[in-house]
Amino acid sequence: MIRSLLAWLASRVMSPRTLRNLKAEFRRSTLPKIGLVVLVIVLVTAVFAPFLAPHPPKDQDLENSTQPPLGFSSKSVEEVEVQDNGSVVFDDEGNILTENQTVYENASLSHPMGTDANGRDLLSRVIYGSRTSMLVGILGTLLAAVVGVSVGLTAGYFGDRVDDVLMRAADIMLAFPSLVLAIALVGVFQNSDIHTYDLPDPFVWAATHDTIPNVLIPRATHVAQMPETTTFPVTVTLVVALVNWVWFARVARGEALSLRSEEFVKAAKAVGAKDRNIIFRHILPNAITPIIVLGTIQVAAIILLESALSFLGFSGTSLSWGFDINAGQEFLSSAWWISTMPGLAIVVTVIALNLLGDWLRDALDPDIGGEGGV
Amino acid sequence: MSLARFLVKRSLQGVFVIWGVVTVVFALRFIAPGSPENVLLPPDVDEETRRQVAAELGLNEPIHIQYLDYIAALLRGDMGNSLVTRTPVADRVFSTVPATIELAVAATVVAVVIAIPLGVVSATRRNQPADYGATLFSLLGISTPNFWLGLMLILFVAVPFDVFPTSTRPVGLLEVGERTLAGNLDGAAAGLENWLLHITLPAIALGTYFTALITRLTRSGMLEELGTDYVRAARAKGLPETLVRYSHALRNTLIPIITVVGLQLGTLIGGAVITEAVFDWPGLGTLVIDSINARDWPIVQGSLIVIATGFVLLNIVVDALYTYVNPQVSFD
Repeated sequence: MIRSLLAWLASRVMSPRTLRNLKAEFRRSTLPKIGLVVLVIVLVTAVFAPFLAPHPPKDQDLENSTQPPLGFSSKSVEEVEVQDNGSVVFDDEGNILTENQTVYENASLSHPMGTDANGRDLLSRVIYGSRTSMLVGILGTLLAAVVGVSVGLTAGYFGDRVDDVLMRAADIMLAFPSLVLAIALVGVFQNSDIHTYDLPDPFVWAATHDTIPNVLIPRATHVAQMPETTTFPVTVTLVVALVNWVWFARVARGEALSLRSEEFVKAAKAVGAKDRNIIFRHILPNAITPIIVLGTIQVAAIILLESALSFLGFSGTSLSWGFDINAGQEFLSSAWWISTMPGLAIVVTVIALNLLGDWLRDALDPDIGGEGGV
Repeated sequence: MSLARFLVKRSLQGVFVIWGVVTVVFALRFIAPGSPENVLLPPDVDEETRRQVAAELGLNEPIHIQYLDYIAALLRGDMGNSLVTRTPVADRVFSTVPATIELAVAATVVAVVIAIPLGVVSATRRNQPADYGATLFSLLGISTPNFWLGLMLILFVAVPFDVFPTSTRPVGLLEVGERTLAGNLDGAAAGLENWLLHITLPAIALGTYFTALITRLTRSGMLEELGTDYVRAARAKGLPETLVRYSHALRNTLIPIITVVGLQLGTLIGGAVITEAVFDWPGLGTLVIDSINARDWPIVQGSLIVIATGFVLLNIVVDALYTYVNPQVSFD
């Protein structure tokens, strides 16, 4: 059913030839398959985070802080507790604790990625972090695409004055490196003014209201502790869309500029179609392929941008990969995993998106001539 | 169109864009919650003093007067005073510019020096281990956030080997130059060595994305060029393969590389900002982030204007360079 739904959706936006190219390219190479599988895993993780995470992500367990990931042991140099009367200190097994005693702490199965300085489970934090990345990445891209494509198509279709005004505005936006502009825009708000919105989580709601048979819920999860909402960083999403719409505008404008002199557009004009209808019914469908290719790459770019912003402390939520990378920075030499794990999550997700982007670009736009384009 | 006319035309466009940038930056202060006099003054100060300080800062004037004053001051090179240290913004901003330029240039050098040979090797040994290695590297490179890569470099290179310091750089290139001019050659050499050790890791962290990007472009460009008729003709008349590859094919590959690198300059500058934050590099990025955290708006505004202006100028240079290497495009 999902297959036929996807096929129907694809046939609405793409020509049969484009679809054939997509399929042929998908079969030809393994890389897009890897990308697709990884991305689906990340998406499922993001949607079902509360059911997959072994611990609540904000639960502190100071007894088990900075535990190493599975398969590693960490050594910590303990200070000697020399007592005032000069007597020595014994450990549990009766050995004398000497100076620079090395204590090996082994990982435990309950924290496969280890724990952070406050004893929070890193795997759970990485799982919940995927929500922020995916929410901001996808919604930010959609918002940027809607704004950018509307502006670009309008500019390209009308040309002349309209084009000049809109594209000069785009030039001004492009004069700021996107990360710098994003930092400045988020940074003007004080931390308390970075808006977030608590989105209700329908699956947790269903689970807590006993609408899902208990057997379907994994044993490890504690329904009572599941957060019923997820934090959606509104300000950050608006800002990443605001700094990235220009790329969509440029691409859409170029397409509209070349399409507006096509026969079918002239014909539509001749029979008296409204400009708005021509733009959205005739030009947009023919300009959609490069926009989709750009969109895939933009999701990756926006995920990187979001992680950079939260790394610098401008995020509005603490459940973000960039936030944890920053939190681990001061423990780099003693607990390397705190910064490493969320970073790996970013790399894996962005690689998957880039593989999909390469696939779409190779299949949809042979003129660009990407990897192995000959 | 001649190069001179092209430069004049692009500069005029650049002036327009910079005016737009200044306007946006000026407007930024009004969307920020809290007004400047509140940053300046302790919260328990009485209303009278508050009004007085606001008047001194010119905040009571109508907005359009403030705007015109701001532009007039900028034209005189005056970006106002820092709210925190009360020193001129221009001094603070321009004293950090060299460090950022050093970092950006070093990263570009790293990228070009590694990427172009790697791309050529990858294309000429297509579908061999070297090609797979290069392709994997470039996929990883474009997908890794540079701040995280910086942390990993500190973790896996700086901490275990203790060769590359990660503390703030004590001497910049300008200082090295001054020592050389003063005849202090030993001091200059020591400074240069110290500088190289300090810049290596940040340059790699910032340059990796570009290395990966340029490797990709070089590879696909070379693959395309090596299949063309003129390359076959060159080979057919017996030219040495090195000459065919580097003098014919690579030269034509450089054109799209320059285009894309030009488009990605923003990523380089934005990346420099965050790389500086990781390595405590005393550049514009560190200044911007510190000033945002200190609510020191005049410095944030000044830095934004300097960054955007530099970016606009760089783009003009890249466009000119592009037209210069590509005879098919005229300066129109």
